[in-house]
Amino acid sequence: MTTSTGRKAGLRQLVARSHGYQRGMLLAGAAITALVLLVAVFAPWIAPYGYAQLRNSHGYFGSQLHPSGQHWFGTTVGGYDVLSRVVWGARTAVEVIVAGTLVGLLVGTLLGLLAGYLGGWLDNVLVIVSDAIYAFPSLLLAIVMSIVISGGSSGLWTGILSAATTTTILFIPQYFRVVRAETLRLKHEAFVDAARVVGAPRQRILFRHILTNATRSLPLILTLNAGGAVATLAGLGFVGFGIEPNSAAEWGYDLNRAQSDVAAGIWWTAVFPGVAIALTVLGLTLLGEGLNDVRDPRLRARRRIRGTATAALTAPATSEHALLELQDLHVRFATDAGTVAAVDGLDLTITAGEIVAIVGESGSGKSVTARAALGLLPDTASAHGRILLAGQDVITAPRRALRRLRGRDAAMVFQEPATTLNPVYPVGWQIAEGIRAHEKIGRREARQRAVDLLRQVGIPDPDERVRYYPHQFSGGQQQRVVIAMALALGAPLLLADEPTTALDVTVQAGILDLLRELRDTRGTAIVLITHNMGVVADIADRVIVMQDGRLVEQADTLSLFHSPQQPYTRQLLQAVPRLGQSERPAAPGGARRSAAHAGIDAADEVVVDVQQLVVDYPGRLGRGPFRAVDDVSFRLHRGEVLGLVGESGSGKSTIARTIAGLVPASAGQLTVLGHSLVPARESRFRAARRGIGYVFQDPTASFNPKLSIGQSIAEPILIHDRPAPAEVRRRVGELLDAVHLGADYAQRYPHELSGGQRQRASLARSLALRPQLLIADEPTSALDVSVQDRVLALLRELHDELHFAVLFISHDLAVVDSLANRVGVLRAGRLVELGERTAVLTAPAEDYTRDLIAASPVPDPVAQAARRAHRAAQLAETA
Amino acid sequence: MTTTLESSTEDTRPETALGASAPAGLGLGRYILIRFVLIFPTVFVLTTVVFFLTRVTGDPITAAFAGRLNAQQLHERIHAAGYDRNILRQYVDYVGQVFRGNFGTTLTDHVRVTSMLRTYGAATLELVFYSLVVALILGPVLGTLAARLRDRGADAALRVFAILTYAIPVFFTGLLLKLIFAIWLGWLPVDGRLSTANEINLQMRGHQSGIDLIDAVRASSWSMVGDVLEHAILPAVTLGLLTTGIFLRLFRTNLISTLDSDYVLAGRSRGVSEWRLTTRHAGRPALIPIITVVGLQIAGLLSGAVLTETTFEWKGLGFELTQYLQQRDYTAVQGIVVALAVVVALVNFVVDVLAALIDPRVRY
Repeated sequence: MTTSTGRKAGLRQLVARSHGYQRGMLLAGAAITALVLLVAVFAPWIAPYGYAQLRNSHGYFGSQLHPSGQHWFGTTVGGYDVLSRVVWGARTAVEVIVAGTLVGLLVGTLLGLLAGYLGGWLDNVLVIVSDAIYAFPSLLLAIVMSIVISGGSSGLWTGILSAATTTTILFIPQYFRVVRAETLRLKHEAFVDAARVVGAPRQRILFRHILTNATRSLPLILTLNAGGAVATLAGLGFVGFGIEPNSAAEWGYDLNRAQSDVAAGIWWTAVFPGVAIALTVLGLTLLGEGLNDVRDPRLRARRRIRGTATAALTAPATSEHALLELQDLHVRFATDAGTVAAVDGLDLTITAGEIVAIVGESGSGKSVTARAALGLLPDTASAHGRILLAGQDVITAPRRALRRLRGRDAAMVFQEPATTLNPVYPVGWQIAEGIRAHEKIGRREARQRAVDLLRQVGIPDPDERVRYYPHQFSGGQQQRVVIAMALALGAPLLLADEPTTALDVTVQAGILDLLRELRDTRGTAIVLITHNMGVVADIADRVIVMQDGRLVEQADTLSLFHSPQQPYTRQLLQAVPRLGQSERPAAPGGARRSAAHAGIDAADEVVVDVQQLVVDYPGRLGRGPFRAVDDVSFRLHRGEVLGLVGESGSGKSTIARTIAGLVPASAGQLTVLGHSLVPARESRFRAARRGIGYVFQDPTASFNPKLSIGQSIAEPILIHDRPAPAEVRRRVGELLDAVHLGADYAQRYPHELSGGQRQRASLARSLALRPQLLIADEPTSALDVSVQDRVLALLRELHDELHFAVLFISHDLAVVDSLANRVGVLRAGRLVELGERTAVLTAPAEDYTRDLIAASPVPDPVAQAARRAHRAAQLAETA
Repeated sequence: MTTTLESSTEDTRPETALGASAPAGLGLGRYILIRFVLIFPTVFVLTTVVFFLTRVTGDPITAAFAGRLNAQQLHERIHAAGYDRNILRQYVDYVGQVFRGNFGTTLTDHVRVTSMLRTYGAATLELVFYSLVVALILGPVLGTLAARLRDRGADAALRVFAILTYAIPVFFTGLLLKLIFAIWLGWLPVDGRLSTANEINLQMRGHQSGIDLIDAVRASSWSMVGDVLEHAILPAVTLGLLTTGIFLRLFRTNLISTLDSDYVLAGRSRGVSEWRLTTRHAGRPALIPIITVVGLQIAGLLSGAVLTETTFEWKGLGFELTQYLQQRDYTAVQGIVVALAVVVALVNFVVDVLAALIDPRVRY
């Protein structure tokens, strides 16, 4: 999240991003480390005497002398000058640091990379060895090493070598662990998959894509390593395995000698060397922690907004029956890019028993509004205006009053049920806790109420399930539990922030029914925040449209959909894809094609031939394998667009990935561009990869954050064609033009582009080699509706021009309707139905397809009401 | 003295080497079994590492006595101890011995390492216990404070304090504390576990457990208990501070992470008090990885114990180790080192099982 173009955070930016005491830590650490380094380098000039010097021209120094003009730090029992020994000791410390870190860093990182990426037995062995060594008491190992290398007290290099080897051995597991964990995470990122699809050789993936991104924690470990080396050397010296004074100065050795002094009250022989060790390790650790804090966005110190919230001067509540009233609400956030206005003057009133939908695209401020209503804004935000909830102004209310309001006068439901529920407590406990935060009731009674609530939201076997942990419920059930928690105190107002976005369409329908029921039976008012216009049409009484923090239009649902007043609203509604309104031909080339079912027509070249495909994911310890794709057969012809729809777990993504060669097929036959992928033979398939393009769902993860857009787009070209750099630049520029981005985008970095722009760049990359097959896995699901519209239009345009075959994966029937020639419906790994688009989507043969279509809400309130009635009748029939 | 900064609580499920983390619902029994089986390869690796390190440049007898004995005598001793056999043969024998619990016999006074463990192990155990008490109280409490007061002055001070406890070598802390409290102020004893009088007293009673606190309580003498605790304060604080710092930083990082989580936000939206949110909601998920770290810290504590015992003449394993070191009795040293490493492996097993007990994602 930087505003600068060009390379990501250099050192200067790192410092600039830090605030407050974290910056202090970083700078202090750097300063101390630099000081130690300087002292080490310039020791001969800084130290008044040599490290083994016992006398000068005036005679012997004398032992255990107090600090004085000649000996600023006094002398040791052996007659050495303490200051000189401290200064020369810095050099020894730096030497051990260098010796004890570099090898460990290299070996540990490399092993971690390999273990993480390759997995298998190599990984298992390395992890066992690493864990074994990791827990070894370091000093003990150092002692053993010391014996081995020297048999005891030693010269400079043997002494350093013991500490250095020990530290290296003991820190290799640390580098290994950290790099392995990062590699495991990165292995599954979309941009790594993108490189694999294109056919990048393994080394390229490992070093260019994974290693460059796996180094985040390394500076911290490096500094800990360095500190550890110094500490181990000192420890060795302290137990009598130190470096003899004639060979070098070493702080730990001096501390060993100083032990007897302490009993006699002589402090200077122990304190100065001790402080030296402490300071060195301190500086290194401060530096490491400071760097780590700044680079990890979670730990970074956050800015605070100057000035507190102020009460507005406008008149008090207007409506008497208003549950929630917002007056001229402004919410500002402090970000790295300056102060951002998330909500910019909003007026809003919610009364009892109504369902109000707040719609908008990302950045409209709708979520922020909901959070502000309950006083749940983070410290980086400040709110101005009035938020009246149950008669109190949330903005100025004292903390205790706020706490009373929350849960009792208004409750909130969030988007992701899995993260909203605490994984280590049973759901009954979590529900009961919400109740007991407001009422004084016994545990048993609270538990009973929890059971009742679970029953009300439709959880079967509530007496049993009240003891279950969240992970034992499905996604839809988890959301029901969350709703139960929100209702626990009978709050008259429910704020639901995208409550169904993460759920399948059939599950979503159930949750919407539940919400409606709440309104009907309990009179609960619901504020529903969503970007899905179909949901709005289905459930809302009133709609508020927001853009850039402002209210654009407000109307009852019917009026808004049938006669939108504002241009933005009209734009928004037009961009929403609708079932049955597509202008695409049912088959490529229009009338020429007859009703084609699974692969009878052999006239067109077959690009992908799938026969009885089975894909199993291996099971973990003691569990059987999971069958993701179960006996699926279909053919994809040249120039055709085939849409695969299904809910989560249907196997549609797995099919896409198997065809792209990312996942091995377990059984059946699979021929892609003339090459058989069963059994998978990567070396032969590589050449065919130039004919495949892949667009991923998540625009953030599709690109390597360390590479520029131009570099990423050029990758397929560089791997397969390898032309001259000028030619590469030309082709990249051409591609960027084709996706309406423009050649100057080549120098930008992924974080500088918006989601829609990144998806377009992703298209550019996938088309770099003029493929015959484009696989698009939910390419627009993460985008705003208007952006989605533009990206789909671009896809249609490119398809018309280049005639590649498209395998389009989606859960959204309307989107598929706007693009596909044929449609396949998947359920639990099986292909339930496959046929012409219009046939499947308007007159489906299978019940499941009918259910799916019936459950998908359309952005038209009247039509949707009719569909809902029809669906209810259907369900009643089958019940 | 190695430390780790496990900063991620995203997946806090305990890990086994095979197949990454225990998948939800694996069941406690299975997890314990797998984890138990893994002890063996771990001990195997440790023994191998130590064995080959010590044999790389020759044998313990040459290292100990070269220069003090002539070639003939050296050769005799080497032969008697079996160090001139085929190295692989020696290795196999040694590993076999370790798995049977035989860690060797010292060269200088012919004591079996296992009996040494029994005699002196209790003292080290007592020291480690006291320091863990110190660390487990101070660490989480201060870490919670730092997380709640995030980014403010107190947080900064606490973090610097934590780093200092790590940076200042434990023997230096010991020396400083000794200097200030025992010598300059004279409040606490300088070294040892008990005053000489009490020590003789206990020895005469016989049947010692080796753990002075227990023995003192059994002897029903409050003055003796007081004596034990008095002697324990400085060493316990010295060793305890080291681990306190680590717990503090770890707890702070984990707590910050969980306090930011969605479920804490959801809890807040239900009106749960901040106090409960911190201690119950955020606390428990943050605690689970710490339990695992405690296991790893045992290793650091043992290293630190060696140094602390030396500083305070606390007659435990660490102290004995340095004595043997000074006498160049390397068989003893090797034996003690391997024994301690095995102890660490066992402790880690127990700790991992404890962490799994607490994490419901493993049980169900």
